[in-house]
Amino acid sequence: MAPNEGQSRVPRASIPFNPVFGWSVGNWMEQFFDGMKEGKILASRCPACGRVYLPPRMICERCFAKAEEWVELPETGTVETFTEAHVKLAPNGTFEDIDGPEIIAMVKHDGADTCIAARLEGGGVSVGMRVKAVLDPSAENVLDLLAGYRAAE
Amino acid sequence: MDKEVAIIGYAQTPYEADAEASREMQVLEVTKAALAAAGLKREQLDTVITANNDYLDGRTISNMRLVEPSGAWQKNESKVEMDGAYAALYALMRILSGDHGIAMVVGESQASVYGGYIPGTMMLDPTFDRQRGLLNEVSASALQARAYMNACGVSEEQLAGVAAKNLANAAKNPLALRADGKADVKKVLSSRLLYSPIRELMASPLCDGACAVVLASGKVAAKSGNPVWIKGVGFSHDSYLSERSLAEMSSLKDAARRCYAMAGIEDPASQLDLAEVHECFAHEELMAYEALGLCAAGEGGAFFDSGTTSMDGSLPVNASGGALAANVACAAGLARIIEAAMQIRGEAGDHQVKGVRTAVAHGQTGICAQENIIYVLGGE
Ligand SMILES: [Zn+2]
Repeated sequence: MAPNEGQSRVPRASIPFNPVFGWSVGNWMEQFFDGMKEGKILASRCPACGRVYLPPRMICERCFAKAEEWVELPETGTVETFTEAHVKLAPNGTFEDIDGPEIIAMVKHDGADTCIAARLEGGGVSVGMRVKAVLDPSAENVLDLLAGYRAAE
Repeated sequence: MDKEVAIIGYAQTPYEADAEASREMQVLEVTKAALAAAGLKREQLDTVITANNDYLDGRTISNMRLVEPSGAWQKNESKVEMDGAYAALYALMRILSGDHGIAMVVGESQASVYGGYIPGTMMLDPTFDRQRGLLNEVSASALQARAYMNACGVSEEQLAGVAAKNLANAAKNPLALRADGKADVKKVLSSRLLYSPIRELMASPLCDGACAVVLASGKVAAKSGNPVWIKGVGFSHDSYLSERSLAEMSSLKDAARRCYAMAGIEDPASQLDLAEVHECFAHEELMAYEALGLCAAGEGGAFFDSGTTSMDGSLPVNASGGALAANVACAAGLARIIEAAMQIRGEAGDHQVKGVRTAVAHGQTGICAQENIIYVLGGE
């Protein structure tokens, strides 16, 4: 048999790799989600440098310290950057077209030093645009408590 | 560093969408070829470091079954789960320890096995971003591209220009997967829009392949023909993508500062003859110009327009076509090191740049280039 001969006749087996992990979201994210159930945006703050993390992080990497203070932030913020998604990631790892473009924005809440990536509703976007969080305190899944953002009036 | 560690052999497979050979056979091919190029036998290897990834390979301990083809049987063997440019760092440190004289460094993966962009989402925060399903390697990079363009006044045409340059350069690189000698801005801008501003041809193609480098101590290298010396290395790790400014590559800038200090580079634009940059997306090459100090901060677009980084410019970047021509996860950064070494040795064939004595090579790992490593390489 010549080298490589016959290889093309070997079928490719698709072996699913679907491990399920039971991550804890951690104390800080739990408080973040609990806050949104009451319509509050809670961020963590580093006592050493004052940096405000939203979503809240437990550790300030810059100070090598616990970011253990809490602050409530307004629902308003600014679009730092955005993209118009014309595709979505399909389960097979390729990109498939979606019906109309949807906007994904990185929003920095007023008073925060970090960003949240979320859907921007209502069409029309620019860097620097003022936006307001769309909260859904009754959402069953905590990940849907923050539905996205829309233009601030 | 002055003549402490050198590259004395290297090899790459062709980069393919779906290689007929298994990863083991690809690794065997490059390891044997790199050893032959160095004039060595397997028995002479002191240490072997591979770069691969459990998620991409679909099994834990992804270096398992690479011991045989990488020549590592009953040797001092280890791996990194990052780009091969970090495997080279690990090998470099082992040689600098004085305990090892010759190291084999291998990077490999097969996108045809791991199937696209799903494994990349494992790099996202599992308690928030990953669950919400909006971000992946391409959409996150699109956010970075827009942030950079907005901060530095860069246009979509300039991003397309970078892609066109690299795809045209790749037409002279026989190993490249995506190559187009007639690529131009119009063609790139008419390719499929994924996440604005990123279009298909501005995103690197995932592919199958492997590459290998033999590193040797100064004592061994001095006896070999044509060593390419490692003059400096620098690496740095940045914050998670939503916790840093996406408008600049601050960790690459940091890595460059350390590397240049080690290599004695004070004015990179004049002291470097060539750069091989691991640009997973077109905008990253422009951001790298700035971070590597090839131009002033914010001037990446204008610097590209000047033609300095084109094949006939004074500082060609990605003469090989870069990662936009072939982006093998865990190997593309190591391939940049090989391409830079090839240019210094004058072995780059049709994509050879004249008179390359000192070159910079870059590798990265993580979403939006979260971790960066660079090397300055030089000839005799
Ligand atoms: Zn702090």
